[in-house]
Amino acid sequence: MRRDFYEFFCPVKTVAGYKALEHMAFELRSRGVSRPLVVSDRGVVGAGLVTTVTEALAADGISPGGLFDEVPPDSSIASVKAGVAAYRAQDCDCLIAIGGGSVMDTAKAINILATEGGDDIRPFAGVNNLRRPLKPFLAVPTTAGTGSEVTAVTIIKDEEAHAKLPVVSPYLLPDVAVLDPRMTLKLPPQITAATALDALTHATEAFTCLAKNPVSDAYATTAISGVARWLVPVLEEPSNAEGRLELAQAATMAGIAFSNSMVGLVHSLGHAVGATAGVHHGTCMGIFLPVVLEFNLEAREREIGELLLYLSDAETYAATPASQRATAAIARIRSLKDQVKSLCGLPRSLSETGQVRREDLDAIAALALDDGSMIMNPVEVSLEEARALLDRAW
Amino acid sequence: MQAETGSSAADTAGRVAGSPGRARAAYRAQLLYVRVMMWLVGRLLQAASAVDPVIRAEVAALPADFTFAMRLSSGLAGLSMRRDGERLATRKSSAGESLSLVFEFKHLTHAFLVLGFVEGTARAFANDRMTLSGDAALAMKIVRCLNRMEALVLPKFVAARAVKRYPQIGLGTKLGLALKIYGRFLIDLFGG
Repeated sequence: MRRDFYEFFCPVKTVAGYKALEHMAFELRSRGVSRPLVVSDRGVVGAGLVTTVTEALAADGISPGGLFDEVPPDSSIASVKAGVAAYRAQDCDCLIAIGGGSVMDTAKAINILATEGGDDIRPFAGVNNLRRPLKPFLAVPTTAGTGSEVTAVTIIKDEEAHAKLPVVSPYLLPDVAVLDPRMTLKLPPQITAATALDALTHATEAFTCLAKNPVSDAYATTAISGVARWLVPVLEEPSNAEGRLELAQAATMAGIAFSNSMVGLVHSLGHAVGATAGVHHGTCMGIFLPVVLEFNLEAREREIGELLLYLSDAETYAATPASQRATAAIARIRSLKDQVKSLCGLPRSLSETGQVRREDLDAIAALALDDGSMIMNPVEVSLEEARALLDRAW
Repeated sequence: MQAETGSSAADTAGRVAGSPGRARAAYRAQLLYVRVMMWLVGRLLQAASAVDPVIRAEVAALPADFTFAMRLSSGLAGLSMRRDGERLATRKSSAGESLSLVFEFKHLTHAFLVLGFVEGTARAFANDRMTLSGDAALAMKIVRCLNRMEALVLPKFVAARAVKRYPQIGLGTKLGLALKIYGRFLIDLFGG
């Protein structure tokens, strides 16, 4: 008797496409709120993206209660504290996050304190420590990769303890994710590529790791097709609004998939390299994805072979013998990385980043072994094997 | 529409309830098994952490005040351990205490599947059968300790179902360590 069992949860409303920003006022009003605190960072404000959103709101009679644009590259306890002070000072009643992963994480943490009171996020750290819904929260991603607009997690840096505080709760999920192509049109090519490879990895690991399930598979495979189809055209023509929206949708679907099915060894290695050498997360994902898929072939050859259909097309898939589909899928990912490298210079290996020292690889392997993502990898990984994978990615 | 008679209403209720007596007996049997296995796992992990160098190395990397529990969300069964110097030791749990790490099975049957070696720890996480509260890096160390202990004290055909990949351990090494673990288990049990 099969004892398969899974849970799937995503209550986030997705508002996507042409003039999606103009729908935000309706979403706020329908939740009985009208004074949002806009949470963002200086870069996003400087690029004019916050103005685009506030103009769309103003056209429908909503003026933000305030703007908090002091989010650092790594969300921190101090910035959360400052953000909730701004929320209270401006008498706001809801939040809008406009930015990437750090902005989303900060806004989620501000929302906890705005709802629960106090100015210390630490008591809420851990899993399921929130007991009631938070204030209405709209998420407007300006990168297409992290999927934070549909995840129930925030990670805040505790500068004093030199640690990262994760808060996990379904109440952290935004009410609405707003995907508008205007938000990612100005994203630099390398960031576009790195975040898209992050999304591709979220979807691929959700599809190939232990917690895969039929519902998340549907999101994952659609996300993989989206990145495979549109990443190169967008890098060739950055103003391609259709392609930008397709990548944003792919990132959101990959986020829905991995927030339900989790990720595996690619993320374990990537987190360890990011923590040790500061390499951009998406860049790490691109570096390790094909290497780890090769490693996981012993347990997941059929699933990796299926990826070929979504990474290429039906004709290629049908013309490739079943026994060769997995290696062909991995080769397709390598080919995509080569194209990306030639178009925007994104590193394909650890050595190409110029940030990782070979003498740190032992410590990186040990760190990766303790990463929580490791448990979902379909193949057990020893310290020696993790070290060998780093050599392969060098 | 015909009104339901008293006897047909009782029949309907019986069909809906199934066989409550049998279900209760199965539940009690599972609960007894899970309680015994939780006790056994705690004692065997305590013993293994005293004699196996691989588990000792994992324990050495835990914080000095480390505590963890594995329990049912209903609170009907559980085990609790702490780092005691260079090994792990079982401890008494108390209501409302703060622990470094808590693995909580959402339902008795879920714990029964894992402790009955039908499903491995990683598969149980993947199947949403349990929740984790605490530092994931510490959880990975404890999961590796549990996997190693199971690989040493159980026959290979049983342990292989509990872990993702059965480790490469020579038969002589495995038997030697298993004897030491069971010996330590008996000393802890009867020697105080």
